[in-house]
Amino acid sequence: MEQPVQTETWKARSLEELVRILHQIFAEDKVSVDEVQALMESYESNPEEWLQYAKFDQYRYTRNLVDNGNGKFNLMILCWGEGHGSSIHDHTDSHCFMKILQGNLKETLFEWPEKKGNGEMIKKSERVLRENQCAYINDSIGLHRVENISHTEPAVSLHLYSPPFDTCNTFDQRTGHKHKVTMTFYSQFGERTVC
Amino acid sequence: LPAGLSQWFPALEVLDVSGTGLTEMGTELLSLPCLHTLLAKNNRLPGGPGLAPKGLGQAPLARSLRVLNLSGNRFSEVPPALLQLRGLRSLSLGGNRLHGIPPDIQELHSLEFLYLGGNFITAIPPELAKLPSLRYLVLCDNKIQSIPPQLAQLHSLRSLSLHNNLLTYLPREILNLVHLDELSLRGNPLVVRFVRDLTYNPPSLQELAGRTVKTRNVPYAPSDLPESLVRYLSLASNCPNPKCGGVYFDSCVRQIKFVDFCGKYRLPLMHYLCSPECSSPFSSASQSSTSQSESDSEDEASVAAHRMQKVLLG
Repeated sequence: MEQPVQTETWKARSLEELVRILHQIFAEDKVSVDEVQALMESYESNPEEWLQYAKFDQYRYTRNLVDNGNGKFNLMILCWGEGHGSSIHDHTDSHCFMKILQGNLKETLFEWPEKKGNGEMIKKSERVLRENQCAYINDSIGLHRVENISHTEPAVSLHLYSPPFDTCNTFDQRTGHKHKVTMTFYSQFGERTVC
Repeated sequence: LPAGLSQWFPALEVLDVSGTGLTEMGTELLSLPCLHTLLAKNNRLPGGPGLAPKGLGQAPLARSLRVLNLSGNRFSEVPPALLQLRGLRSLSLGGNRLHGIPPDIQELHSLEFLYLGGNFITAIPPELAKLPSLRYLVLCDNKIQSIPPQLAQLHSLRSLSLHNNLLTYLPREILNLVHLDELSLRGNPLVVRFVRDLTYNPPSLQELAGRTVKTRNVPYAPSDLPESLVRYLSLASNCPNPKCGGVYFDSCVRQIKFVDFCGKYRLPLMHYLCSPECSSPFSSASQSSTSQSESDSEDEASVAAHRMQKVLLG
């Protein structure tokens, strides 16, 4: 995904169409980050189309796999109850797109800690993403924490990761110490994953 | 609520009146016998002094209501009427203007889920620990300065959200929450360096009497004492020194020590001791070397620490 490519202006009129176009884009050797971001943003969230994947857990946010992109990408829906948030994490050398389908999510960007990691991590910026907005991050940009800061509304987001990955590092904000974790799916293709 | 609601829909089980500008509940609530879920978020409650109609405690609702969501309203205190809803399992008062939690919250003995995030709460009453079924407790985004050690009596607790408060330390009893899977602490000014604070306030007469009753197993029945004292006696904490076997209520010596949770990060914990003379194996008076006492506390803590492996959404 390094070189600029002939970018098309896509309009995904449904979630199904979005998935179809993603397969098309990722079938090529080169994929443009801007193109994927614009495509994700073009899809106007329609809950009827994704409700079957939106399984909430009372205690923490959930990851629900929608499509595994023929091994080229993972498309998943994350469900955030009120007050649910992630730890600060990296993206294991992959590209990460995050589109809001419902509610709002706060994204806080952090600098990578020093090798030894012995002090409070440095916040770079923060923003609140609104419905249908799509954010992008990769390891060269930095680390982030994503959280639903609402105490009244749940939030739902659509994530695309390429290449797919199932482990990443989480970071302690106060010290910069990192810890490798394995991520799991709460459900896959609309079916609850048995633990 | 519109008049006649209970006549048109006598079998109503779920009622969602969120975002309707509601300022009070009204008497219609009393006549809905099957209602188990009431969602009234993002309204203007309470509009006046009384949230709910009189007689709520005797209405069928008091036993049938399981889920109540009053988040995003204007409550500056938990309405006393609410505490009569004995069957309540889930209560949300997130995003209101609460300054505290009433000790009578313990009346909601079926409560499993309590969401109080996004208020102005400064302290947690120890009585909150008397909720035997509480599994999920959210206290994030408040102004809480300390956690009472009694909170460790919440044996069913799975998830505790404390992020974005004013905590500088945690009571070491938090290690006793063996079922805790999630604990969020970020956004608190947790003390990072070792701090010693040996100020000690002598115990009150009530405290001394309470200690004697407990350690000598003086028998008492609820009819012997005023209710407030019965309650007080139930809030005794055990001295962490295993050789002491004493109990304390409010009077204690404080020292802040660090415990390393599975290499994640050092959490400052408050070791509560009965008195400066009660020397615990993992702490001693100010003269001892810090490294010895620190490693002792780490040994003890590592046993408890691996119980909290999945924890610490730092």
